[in-house]
Amino acid sequence: MTTAILETPSQTQPAKQKVMLCEGNEAAALGVALARPDMVAVYPITPQSSLVEHVAKLIADGRMDADIVDAEGEHSVLSVLQGGALAGARTYTATCGPGLAFMFEPYFRTSGMRLPIVMSIVTRDGITPQSVWGGHQDAMTVREVGWVQVYCETVQEVLDTTIMAFKIAEHHDVMLPVNVCLDGNYLSYGTSRVELPDQAEVDAFMGVKDVNWHVALDPLRPMAVDPLTGGSGGKGPSTFVRYRKGQCRGMQNSLRVIEEVHEEWAQRFGRRFAPLVEEYRLDGADYAIMTLGSMTGAAKDAIDEARDAGKKVGLIKIKTFSPFPVEALLKSLNKVQALGVVDRSVGFRWNCGPMYQETMGVLYRLGRHVPSMSFIGGLAGADITVGHFHRVIEATEKLLSSPAPIEPVWLNEKD
Amino acid sequence: MAMFGGAYNTIAFDAAKCDGCGDCMTACATAKTGTVDQSRSRIQIVGSEHDGFELALCRQCGDPKCVTVCPAAALTKNGDSGVIEWNASKCVDCLLCTVGCAYAGIALDAGSGHVAKCDTCDGAPACVPACPHQALTYITTSRIYNEVGDWEDLFAPGLAGCQGCNTELLMRHTLRRVGPETVLATPPGCVPGMGSVGFNGTTGTKVPVFHPLLTNTAAMLAGIKRQYRRVGREVNALAIAGDGGASDVGFQSLSGAAERNEQILFMVVDNEGYMNTGMQRSSCTPYGAWTSTTPIGKGSGGMPSQGKTQDAKNLPLIMVNHRCEYVATASTAYMQDLYDKLDKAIQASKRGFAYLHVYSPCTTGWRFPTDQNMEVARKAVETNFVMLWEYNPKDGLEFTRPVDDPLPVTEYLKAMGRFRHLSPDQISHIQGKVVENLAFVKQMAHRQSA
Repeated sequence: MTTAILETPSQTQPAKQKVMLCEGNEAAALGVALARPDMVAVYPITPQSSLVEHVAKLIADGRMDADIVDAEGEHSVLSVLQGGALAGARTYTATCGPGLAFMFEPYFRTSGMRLPIVMSIVTRDGITPQSVWGGHQDAMTVREVGWVQVYCETVQEVLDTTIMAFKIAEHHDVMLPVNVCLDGNYLSYGTSRVELPDQAEVDAFMGVKDVNWHVALDPLRPMAVDPLTGGSGGKGPSTFVRYRKGQCRGMQNSLRVIEEVHEEWAQRFGRRFAPLVEEYRLDGADYAIMTLGSMTGAAKDAIDEARDAGKKVGLIKIKTFSPFPVEALLKSLNKVQALGVVDRSVGFRWNCGPMYQETMGVLYRLGRHVPSMSFIGGLAGADITVGHFHRVIEATEKLLSSPAPIEPVWLNEKD
Repeated sequence: MAMFGGAYNTIAFDAAKCDGCGDCMTACATAKTGTVDQSRSRIQIVGSEHDGFELALCRQCGDPKCVTVCPAAALTKNGDSGVIEWNASKCVDCLLCTVGCAYAGIALDAGSGHVAKCDTCDGAPACVPACPHQALTYITTSRIYNEVGDWEDLFAPGLAGCQGCNTELLMRHTLRRVGPETVLATPPGCVPGMGSVGFNGTTGTKVPVFHPLLTNTAAMLAGIKRQYRRVGREVNALAIAGDGGASDVGFQSLSGAAERNEQILFMVVDNEGYMNTGMQRSSCTPYGAWTSTTPIGKGSGGMPSQGKTQDAKNLPLIMVNHRCEYVATASTAYMQDLYDKLDKAIQASKRGFAYLHVYSPCTTGWRFPTDQNMEVARKAVETNFVMLWEYNPKDGLEFTRPVDDPLPVTEYLKAMGRFRHLSPDQISHIQGKVVENLAFVKQMAHRQSA
């Protein structure tokens, strides 16, 4: 445990930061502490457990001043936080896999009530088969529920993004819950060098907390939260549409806010992350592969080796998956003639990866045909290695001259 | 100050204790006329058509017919004391009032030549202490009406409960008592169904109110309460929930919040099923009851479908085993008892989890006439089908209204349609369970009080 560093002053510029070594779950916990939530509700689940253990210890040690609620399950975890947020609290939790599934009922509702709750998803594959290892199936399954969802590539990005997530969620043009997704196993337990921002600098970055100006359960300004709404008569249809359109507007606004917050973060703390879509060696590429989350590290190594071998291939990484960054992605896709999309989860309806399915919609808007294909790898903790990405690059290159296969390629099928 | 039309203290009569000795009449005559002439007493004990005795006495009615019929305005209701006062200087001795009163509460006093009636001796009626058998009591149930009636009704007028439902009254009384510094949770069911959270942008309540999910009422309230405690504000967290949302799908969050001793007042209005959605079975539905998901039919293989085949889950006893700060059962037929418990529950919820389980008959779903709600609620208690008790960790479990000589459970069952189909075997099963449950709770009361 290295939290003592939190209080250690530093003279480095532009921001005072300490260097330390920690796993992704601890990095998330440190980011949460720096964001100063009022209330944290926890229920342990693999591979999230060490994250909430770190949070609990930070609070127990007096290094974080938050009310911690050890709830009896994920359903109540999110419900407690909804209550807290409606009473004006900045709130946080983390979950994954079956826990997220159990939480789904209040999860759907959080975005509808426009509560800026931040929740890490330490992503885990779905059951059955029974599995406790990483994969994006959990977060992908709930991608159509109105939460902002961002995926991290590195441990440092987990720490920084966790803090930024509160600012994005609480922006008055957004007012939506945010999932910070970090890959189970690979980021949760992956230990890496991180720079820890100074508390005062983070306080200045965060600004004034104001989370329930729009909806509250407060005797000083009584209102009915969630009266029965809809139906076919009276004000029902138009009222319901107004709610839903507002949610969609908040989602679209978040694309701009995510960019602004990342830019401010870069200015204050000197670390720049692509907010929506990252291009890696895409200029001059004929074709590209597309990635999400921690797999991107191995993919970038493979791209470097392929480029060294003379292949004109680049990489597009998605950071913000929900809302899907259509305009930003269009700009990147405009540069390529073929595309291979690597998913860490399964889209059962389309027999392909979910990110591939989403991307096909963007490809349609290009106005020209770009052959593409779906790769599925890294399920249930399986590794996606540099070698796997060389197969992805080769298969994608063939799209320039051969018809695209209909079936997805299952990268770990023979591992 | 109480308004005209309110209910007030009055003299209550327990016919079972009266032996007709007439001491009360002697005391009244002495106090009011200076004689021992019982015929001049304002209280008259008369022989009943059946065995025993009945009372002829002014009830100090809220809607007094004697006042209405008086042509000389000689009778008025005192807005402060509630006593109906007779003014000798205005009275024209027409005696119309004696015809108007259904209780023989005002009559000609031959000794004076005018009518005479009870004035409660300015709040200390002479008759009451004179009774050697405590058949007369000067009751104070009107405290509820007079005190609570002066507090602000925090629900909007015009909530839409079924005709004859007493839940709306229960809600209004409860929120009046808990007061405006409250956040109210009403999970899906009859309580929001009658409009307490409102529709399409309107609200039905003057305090902050919300629909939790059916499943997470206690958890959401816990979050609200904790945040206000964190910022140093005293805000009550109140749930008025149905039995289904508490005993079935919402039980996990209820149990979790109780275990964490969250500072919540959780009231369950138990109408023994999912009545708002069309009277489906819940785990609080009693054995044998018809519901829309335990219907009556001929079945197959010679096994007729005869209502619910399991006994009800005893949710309040389960809450006792969470060692909550306060747990009590209550009935809308015993409002004084309910109010005492509500007061204790409010205080307990400032320290930790308080749970109040109110049995609330459903005229629509239980199938009884809409004017019979209180009668059904009362029969449930008089048969021991429902037991009224309270619990706190220090004093243990105690009966608040023990019924030592219960009516047979058939008196309760026959009062409503949902049990109409019961076979003799089913009735004896229910009677057996009543006896068994009583013995169980008595044992618990004894053990925990010891």
